[in-house]
Amino acid sequence: MADLSEASDAQLVTAVGRYSEVALAEVYRRHGGVVFGLARRVLGNAAEAEDVTQEVFLRLWNEPARFDPLRGSLRSFLLAQSHARSVDVIRSQNSRRAREASDAMKTARAEYHLESEVWDLTVAHQVAQALATLPPEERRAIELAYFEGRTYVQVAEILHEPEGTVKSRIRNGMRRMRSVLVESGARDMERS
Amino acid sequence: MNHDEANDLLAALALDAVDAEERSAIERHLAECPRCQSELDAMREVASALGNTVDPLPEGLWSKISDRLYIDGVEAVPVLAPMDGGALGTRRARVPRLGSRRQVWRLAVPVGLAAALVAVLALQLVGANNRVANLQDALRSNDVQSALRTPGHRLIELRSSTHQPLARFVVLPDGRGYLVKSELPKLSTSETYQLWDIVSGRAISIGLMGRAPRHVAFTISGTPGPSSLAVTAEPSGGAIKPTLPIVASGSV
Repeated sequence: MADLSEASDAQLVTAVGRYSEVALAEVYRRHGGVVFGLARRVLGNAAEAEDVTQEVFLRLWNEPARFDPLRGSLRSFLLAQSHARSVDVIRSQNSRRAREASDAMKTARAEYHLESEVWDLTVAHQVAQALATLPPEERRAIELAYFEGRTYVQVAEILHEPEGTVKSRIRNGMRRMRSVLVESGARDMERS
Repeated sequence: MNHDEANDLLAALALDAVDAEERSAIERHLAECPRCQSELDAMREVASALGNTVDPLPEGLWSKISDRLYIDGVEAVPVLAPMDGGALGTRRARVPRLGSRRQVWRLAVPVGLAAALVAVLALQLVGANNRVANLQDALRSNDVQSALRTPGHRLIELRSSTHQPLARFVVLPDGRGYLVKSELPKLSTSETYQLWDIVSGRAISIGLMGRAPRHVAFTISGTPGPSSLAVTAEPSGGAIKPTLPIVASGSV
């Protein structure tokens, strides 16, 4: 592979599978920013986000076969790993305690707006459009679940709504967003 | 958890908004339901669009990752089982330089299937201590394409009981082999495919292939070559003898 910058993500992962550190560095260059960005957003802590980012890329190095290009883009795969690990950290008792003790963090969360946080130029517009189609209660449920690492049961407690209602809101909201994103081509744009 | 219950939670799962117990229950269902798996994949794409937030990367973070690529080669590596056929054990092993990177490269070494297999096992065990290193060397210097260009290579097509082609391997004259193509359905997280060398009707473990094999390399040693290969679905730690039915098999 003469020029890694022109290689597809799938080709890069194959090269990573052959111990190409250069290929891993190229994956990091392409996707490290979003992996770190999501972890930082969920954790609200740059140091912990760095740890998560390290884990995500070391895991790709150690287990590249876990990425299946037929099931989605590499970016989605890495983001899913980043989010899941961040949520693990958040749900640990100590982290939760520290998090809840941070008034500054609460303030930041309260002022959080989804649209303004989506930076990636290739999908920002489509995501904003998709979000705009959601009723506020669906958006809020998704926001609490995804960006604050809550389970739907916890979201129900926070919103004082039945669990089934919250589950439906998350499901309906995600399906609605999916339809809009597919129509606008955002998902395809994201694939490499 | 039935289909409807699992399906109701796919969006929440894509957001990691279920607890560990529910996650396990859904994953068990996903292993049997391609439709739900497909919907979950789609939901995860939506989640990734939400999370597509670029932050400037901290200076020095790549160096930290790069520094750990090789020193973190400490994983549970299947260790030689006692010759009396005891259970497969594990140890923490540090493999120099290129650590035991991934499950599919770990070897489920031959273990005592029965006392009658001791002689065969002994041959397998001779080179077992170096097998991980040998495999890694092979993987670094060879790939599937070069194996396919090597004179004398053999292609082995593994088929299901209904003759559906599920996996194709290439085996070189020196015993090294690679997975060329796999149509094996993905297993649950608690399972792994295991590759077996069938010699004179006896099954000898070649290695674990992971739950969704894509890159698999192995070395067959101690025998003149496989008469056939077989793949079974086993618990994630592997098995000392194949669990029937065999998922796929094929002769040289």
